[in-house]
Amino acid sequence: MADNNKVVIIGANGTMGAGAGCVFAGAGFSVTLLARSNDKCADALADVQNLARADAIAERISLGTYDRDLARAVGEAGLIFESLAEDLPLKKQFFELVDKYRRPDAIVATGSSGLSIGAMAAGRSESFRHHFLGIHLFNPPHVIVGTEVIPSPETDAEVVKNCVAILTKRLGRKVIVTKDRPAFVGNRVGFKVLNEVAQLATEHGVAFMDYLIGPHTGRAMAPLATVDLVGWDVHQAIVDNVFANTNDEARDCFKMPAYMHRALEQGCLGDKTPQRGGFYRRSGAEVFVLDPKTGNHVPMVKPAPIEFVEQMKQFHRVGRYSDALKVFADAKTADADLCRRVVLGYVSYALNRVGEVAATPADVDTIMSYGFNWAPPTAIVDLLGAKNTVAMLERLGLPVPPALGQAASSDAKLFVGGVLQYGRTFVG
Amino acid sequence: MTKPAPVYVLGGAQTDFARNWSKEGKHFVAMMREATLAALEATKIEPREIETSHVGNFAAELYAKQGHVGAFFIEIDPAFSGLPTSRHEAACASGSIALIAASAEIEAGRYDLSCVVGVEQMKTVDSTTGGDYLGTAAWYEREAKGIEFPFPKLFGRLGDEYDKRYGLKDEYLAHISAVNYSNAKRNPNAQTRNWFMSESHAQRESKFNTVIGGRIKISDCSQVTDGSVAVFLASEKFASAWAKRNGLKLEEIPRILGWGHHTAPLEFATKVAESKDNAYVLPHTRQAILDAFKRAEISSPLELSGIETHDCFTTSEYMAIDHFGITKPGESWKAIEEGVIELGGKLPINPSGGLIGAGHPVGATGVRQMLDCHRQITHTAGEYQVEGAKKFAMLNIGGSGTTSCVFVVGN
Repeated sequence: MADNNKVVIIGANGTMGAGAGCVFAGAGFSVTLLARSNDKCADALADVQNLARADAIAERISLGTYDRDLARAVGEAGLIFESLAEDLPLKKQFFELVDKYRRPDAIVATGSSGLSIGAMAAGRSESFRHHFLGIHLFNPPHVIVGTEVIPSPETDAEVVKNCVAILTKRLGRKVIVTKDRPAFVGNRVGFKVLNEVAQLATEHGVAFMDYLIGPHTGRAMAPLATVDLVGWDVHQAIVDNVFANTNDEARDCFKMPAYMHRALEQGCLGDKTPQRGGFYRRSGAEVFVLDPKTGNHVPMVKPAPIEFVEQMKQFHRVGRYSDALKVFADAKTADADLCRRVVLGYVSYALNRVGEVAATPADVDTIMSYGFNWAPPTAIVDLLGAKNTVAMLERLGLPVPPALGQAASSDAKLFVGGVLQYGRTFVG
Repeated sequence: MTKPAPVYVLGGAQTDFARNWSKEGKHFVAMMREATLAALEATKIEPREIETSHVGNFAAELYAKQGHVGAFFIEIDPAFSGLPTSRHEAACASGSIALIAASAEIEAGRYDLSCVVGVEQMKTVDSTTGGDYLGTAAWYEREAKGIEFPFPKLFGRLGDEYDKRYGLKDEYLAHISAVNYSNAKRNPNAQTRNWFMSESHAQRESKFNTVIGGRIKISDCSQVTDGSVAVFLASEKFASAWAKRNGLKLEEIPRILGWGHHTAPLEFATKVAESKDNAYVLPHTRQAILDAFKRAEISSPLELSGIETHDCFTTSEYMAIDHFGITKPGESWKAIEEGVIELGGKLPINPSGGLIGAGHPVGATGVRQMLDCHRQITHTAGEYQVEGAKKFAMLNIGGSGTTSCVFVVGN
């Protein structure tokens, strides 16, 4: 990054743009928030102040519009952070302008959650291409510290190193460097699970699947509630992108179920369309849940308690995580098999991305833990025991990732973060 | 009196103070368990080696409707079944009282290895209810009953008393807050490590920085925190063997060089009346510091490399500066103006971020301060390390300056 303290956010009035503004200004950078109009700039500033819970953060922020201020602001910045909609032509249109006005040493970063970094840089100047990379923040960025840095093959190694150092040291982020593959690591692994649960809901129902693969399986929030929070439009963009551009062992898990397509056509985007809802719709104190069979929202009925789920919750509640995982491994019902298929499918799929997208199992752990608030895959393996995990994967017909196979043969522990780090992701 | 047997601090671990254990659906024993297991892992101590445990906790009865907190240590590992355990309560100084009890047992030769655990789960209730519970650290019936957020008001009065005796500009309090938040950004376990704070924000009242009581704004307050910390205290016999098996020299292991413990009258008005002719606003706190210095054979605070002090509010840190003798009474502002207290200053205060920045899980705070002293002396404090630290002090206060506990740690 250039030797100055100035950051420009393009698309500052979006959720991620304002969040990024809060993160950079909070760390002491001078931030220019750029948007289409003065009103949108004012909205962006108000959002940043609300996120930071401080009016005074405005002291580090200036505002500008694309027409009036982009050339000057981009010309002064050490880091230009693009946070526009996930629309490749739109992004490329702005990058053409950025290429024209940027300082030769300025880093240009896209906040894209999964589009190709190489495709975004294509057609730009050599200097731009050497200074261009992805900085993928997770929502909300001021709370979720997991961050992916995604260089293209043309990005200078020094630029990547500087960027990681700034994100880690000044912004307190938990950073991994990933390869430029669709959805990178976090969303590739995370949305595989989310969409798989959505597929299973076709047969088993929404409320049941969210209960079965709930927080006790190592996540802050149940999967389908997470999709509602993320937004169905974002969900669709991510799974469609992965389905179209990858061909791995779980490709079919990225096919969005037909009932979701139908609901989306009717304007169900999840929490951002409260009137229409998503998997869930709230009306005052009443909660309605989507019936995949009819496409209607029906009054929510809590699923009947399942013994192994309730036992796991009790063990998590008192911090006995290995005992909870033993219950998970030993339960003898069809529900338990379904649960194991999803959770161990997550472990298998995540660790199989090592080499392809992520450099190490620790990188996968970092992003799933600090980006998704999900239990790190290797922590699940260690709690179950590597040999036991391999046996379970084989029984379920799921691939055994090389790192896990090695751990099983040497009886080694895989997780390197310590008990305090994985404890935060097992919910009672 | 003969010199007591030395007490060594072998290290420990703390939970991430940014976590909300109620949101995680957890009981406080999960916190104790994680901290203790991580401490065992960090120190390479086996569960079977622990001989006794002392647990610091303020108000589990209120926050978690659970008493008999010391017994929960047994739930952590099957090897602990049958161990002697006890719970200690002295409001925000509960952790230090647990440390004093554990160290006294080791000095007396009763045990060779003690696990001291501090724990508090506070996010079980809303802030108003939590404020009311904290009021029981004062004389509840007289000073807290029916008062919203009684403690900010009590510590606001501490600032008012300084103002009356010596003059106090709020800008110095704002600076204390900004320094603590800034230090906390270096601490991976600090509650506020990703929060925004600037001196100008701390100086101004705004919709995000409202007045809680008197001169105390949100930015002057420590936060509601869930957390647990475990630390091992050991006799020379255990420490020698432990050092040997870890390739260390006994001299490299931090010791408690001195301690002080005084209790003032509970009511704040009584304290102030009692000290009206004294240069120190809280003379019992001053005496606890002097006692610790005397036992540690320290004649000046500048012999210390740094201090972890109780900053439940900015006023309590302001008080600590002159009470430690860094300035003359009433002149704490001078140390603030000269940058003495900052990381990199002549005598850094709260490099961890203190209670304001790192967090204040009430019953665990004293143990956290001890762990941070250990980290500083063993040069394992990472980004908030005070360069070349040799001796560190901690001051932990329960109530409105009621129970004062001080330790000097060094090797």
